[in-house]
Amino acid sequence: MKKFFSIYIYTTIITIALLALWFYITNFTGWLSPIIFPSPEIVVMAFFKALIELFQGFVSSMKLLVPSFVLALILGIGGGLFFGLHPKSRKILTPFFNAFSPLPLTLFIPYAIALLPTFELASIFILFLAAFWPIFLGTIQGVLLVDNHFWDNAKTIGLQQKDLILKVIIPASSPFILSGTGTALNLSFLILMTAEMFGAKSGMGYFIQFYTDFTQYDYVLAGLIFNSIVILLVMFTFEKIKKRILFWTNLKNEAN
Amino acid sequence: MAKVLDRVYTVKEEMINVRNKIEAKSIAFDYDGVEILKNIDLTIKEGEFVVFMGPSGSGKSTLLRLLTGLAQPKKGEILVNGHSIAKSLPDSAVVFQDYSLFPWLTAEENIILALKQKLKKSKTKQELEHLAQSYLLLVQLGHAFKKYPGEMSGGMRQRAAIARALSLGSDLMFMDEPFGALDPVTRIQLQDLILQVNYEQQRTIAFVTHDAEEAIILADRIVIFSPGPPGSLVETINVPFPKPRNRKKLIESLEFIELRNYILDIMNKGIFEKLEQGHEIRSAGEGI
Repeated sequence: MKKFFSIYIYTTIITIALLALWFYITNFTGWLSPIIFPSPEIVVMAFFKALIELFQGFVSSMKLLVPSFVLALILGIGGGLFFGLHPKSRKILTPFFNAFSPLPLTLFIPYAIALLPTFELASIFILFLAAFWPIFLGTIQGVLLVDNHFWDNAKTIGLQQKDLILKVIIPASSPFILSGTGTALNLSFLILMTAEMFGAKSGMGYFIQFYTDFTQYDYVLAGLIFNSIVILLVMFTFEKIKKRILFWTNLKNEAN
Repeated sequence: MAKVLDRVYTVKEEMINVRNKIEAKSIAFDYDGVEILKNIDLTIKEGEFVVFMGPSGSGKSTLLRLLTGLAQPKKGEILVNGHSIAKSLPDSAVVFQDYSLFPWLTAEENIILALKQKLKKSKTKQELEHLAQSYLLLVQLGHAFKKYPGEMSGGMRQRAAIARALSLGSDLMFMDEPFGALDPVTRIQLQDLILQVNYEQQRTIAFVTHDAEEAIILADRIVIFSPGPPGSLVETINVPFPKPRNRKKLIESLEFIELRNYILDIMNKGIFEKLEQGHEIRSAGEGI
């Protein structure tokens, strides 16, 4: 905890300063409309009143995000390894990868809604697409950039198939796989919130849209803060996991 | 020099009855259209310690790579134990300069990974672990079973790499400047270790270095490359000192110093010729 504060002392100071500024402007000036910009104490009250509702929204959102992200991880890494290791197939399909990966996901929404029976399935499909491409392309790049030394080394000890992939190729390409996964995580939240603001019946994005329609901006801001905290915690956890997996890139030499 | 040459002949005669471990026949190799090696003919006998010497760019490491089967020659054929290695890698162990270990595995895990391939599924996890530890103990890394390469010094890493090579149990070892980045003391310790492996276990070793003293101390035979590209073999020297060798006596002896100077002369001659060639081309270019 002490270490946490020594690292984030300035972050904490800036946060408190922003809150104080917000408190000052909303309470002691007439610069902002009190309806759209309620003061922090009102937002805090709304936050605690809506806490259960916010958590329900969180659970509902995770029901969309988790399956789609897990699917994207499996197919992204699996597919990335396959195309990374098979130059011929990769060359044939690369034009498709290049054509489809940058398409805005909103283009797929009409098809997803038309073809899939429920809003949940359509959302999972769109979220899957959002997370898939960065992981898939990151994995391909990672495999292609595996250091020749590692290949030589693996060949000289006769590594094959399972051990070659699990003990050499995946660890060696993990920096790129994880960087793709981070992008995918960011993008997933973005798409999730946007998708839930249209058509959903629950969720973190839905909460904000619902109270916007009733111009209850104290709840809107409470929702925004809640969502930010969730994203912050998820990204923080992800960074921890990433650091753990990539521990070998940052070891201290005994001799130094 | 006459004395040295006399001994060369006796050493040669002793070797006639020994089987050939490696035969490389008229090897040529190109990379990106640049000729790296040409006309290499080389035979390595069973149990022999052969050192490749030459300046950078002479293709000595490339030849070693070809012998390990990691790259294929453009022309010629390489036989190990009488079989061509064009289709499958020969049974051998390789120690690289500084990347023989995977940085995400501990010393022990690195060796277990290699052992697992070698022994297929005949051993349990515990037996493999025990075996890996015994090889690490052999190279005095008893305290570093669970250390990652990133936590070890260069010398420790090379010890672990040698332990892994030994654990593979092959009687053929390739070493590409394995001690090039080490401090003098560690270097001597590891040279002695590898000499012992060669002498006591009769393992055949092909070893690349550009250090003349290291070459003489280790080798039965030194193969000198011309400065490339393209590199070719300019001279083969049979080292006339019987094994096991006493390092201290050896490096103080007159024969050792003569041989070292002889090798350095050949190397320098090649380098000067190369430089003069370059100079001629430059001055001709300036004349136009």
